[in-house]
Amino acid sequence: MDVMTHSSTFLLPGNDHSSSVTYALVVLNQRLPRFTPILWDHAQVRVCADGGANRVFDEMPLLFPRDDALDVRHRYKPDIIKGDMDSIRTEVLDFYTNLGTKVVDESHDQDTTDLHKCVAYIRDFAPNLDKSNLCILVAGALGGRFDHEAGNINVLYRFSTTRIILLSDDCLIYLLPRTHCHEIHIQSSVEGPHCGLIPIGMTSVSTTTTGLQWDLTNTEMRFGDLVSTSNLVQGEKITVQSSSDLLWTISIKKV
Amino acid sequence: MDVMTHSSTFLLPGNDHSSSVTYALVVLNQRLPRFTPILWDHGSVSLVAFSFFANCLPPCMRERDKVFSFGFWRCVTAQVRVCADGGANRVFDEMPLLFPRDDALDVRHRYKPDIIKGDMDSIRTEVLDFYTNLGTKVVDESHDQDTTDLHKCVAYIRDFAPNLDKSNLCILVAGALGGRFDHEAGNINVLYRFSTTRIILLSDDCLIYLLPRTHCHEIHIQSSVEGPHCGLIPIGMTSVSTTTTGLQWDLTNTEMRFGDLVSTSNLVQGEKITVQSSSDLLWTISIKKV
Repeated sequence: MDVMTHSSTFLLPGNDHSSSVTYALVVLNQRLPRFTPILWDHAQVRVCADGGANRVFDEMPLLFPRDDALDVRHRYKPDIIKGDMDSIRTEVLDFYTNLGTKVVDESHDQDTTDLHKCVAYIRDFAPNLDKSNLCILVAGALGGRFDHEAGNINVLYRFSTTRIILLSDDCLIYLLPRTHCHEIHIQSSVEGPHCGLIPIGMTSVSTTTTGLQWDLTNTEMRFGDLVSTSNLVQGEKITVQSSSDLLWTISIKKV
Repeated sequence: MDVMTHSSTFLLPGNDHSSSVTYALVVLNQRLPRFTPILWDHGSVSLVAFSFFANCLPPCMRERDKVFSFGFWRCVTAQVRVCADGGANRVFDEMPLLFPRDDALDVRHRYKPDIIKGDMDSIRTEVLDFYTNLGTKVVDESHDQDTTDLHKCVAYIRDFAPNLDKSNLCILVAGALGGRFDHEAGNINVLYRFSTTRIILLSDDCLIYLLPRTHCHEIHIQSSVEGPHCGLIPIGMTSVSTTTTGLQWDLTNTEMRFGDLVSTSNLVQGEKITVQSSSDLLWTISIKKV
């Protein structure tokens, strides 16, 4: 079975020139995580899902309180605004379209969530993007209404062959597909130690891990019984292999 | 198959003397939902309701509308209030913020937990001392690392709490959602592990509870305080067949699973939803901002 490696280098400020990963950023309509500028700088395309554009407009200046707000808004201009357009304010839409942001209105399509639309767009249509090693970072996918959160988690399962990472101020989540053995390299300056493995959607008959405080050894996990939460990373490398898709979650450190 | 009925009357204003439900409240370590005082009855129903509501009235209205506002809010009597570890910090710090016109010490006396329980790694010493001096019972379970704080609180309420009529028990949980996702998943797992106990997870934005597959479900919508956004989530396993009535996008023997269809961003139509499923489902509905 092939090994899939994971590393949260997108949380580290600065440019990692050795990285071959192409990052895309999707901003949803929740309060921006405080490290959003770091994600923005790593990303080669930045997509706001509908009301996510309000968040960038309103809250990016708050993350740079010493800078001129208009200046910040020019620096952090989305490449694309996409979705059903029922949340974005007219003034925000006008501001970014005047700066050249491309707007893709999909108000006709009520069958998929805003995040689903954005991921599909990035994966299938975004031009000039090297997608051979693509990783989509999503800010604002957690918290708020639980049905939204569940719908966003479902996007991870529906696009299980695409790396998608959901981020909030407190934690990140991504899918560990059952098709691979996983190596997770811990960036301990920015993440951990609290972590978990969550068998959303189906029982995991057998999971084996190394590197956790409470490792699993061919252990069954399912809702109603054991779910690995409040676990702790030990050291720098975690390995996970499971008979089912699992969600990996790890806490993000407050600076 | 037996019918199980559900109704969010614990969020409703007014007095419901016909209710035979016994409520317990558990407070976890997240920011308190703004309606926490409504869940927490302490002393006279109308006095608590008045002072809470009065803080929301503009000054010109307060005197004139005193008679109207008396008893305006329904304060469901929570017969036991349990703080899970750092939840006691939240009550201590944030209850006074919900009553900005009242003396903070006064508010802290009024909203005193009956029990503080858990592994005690989050509660501040000053908070622990404050409440123990007022008579709050402290149950230290720092030796038990196998279960979450919420699990410990639910087990305590269900199995040990004295003087509590548990024949129709409903456990309300504030602060179970948001924050770290592994905490949230662990809290949701408590719903599945105690599937025969009514447990409702609440945040400012929404509530969640389990619809066990053993019953047909009737959900009576309190449209003044909840909805219209809702969803049915097959968290733990594929649901081979679910049938609903009363939703914008009803399901008819429809399969739901992660990786395929999950009913999110649905909308309630009218006052009654019915759900029957081959698997346990989570029901979630939005809570209205006042």
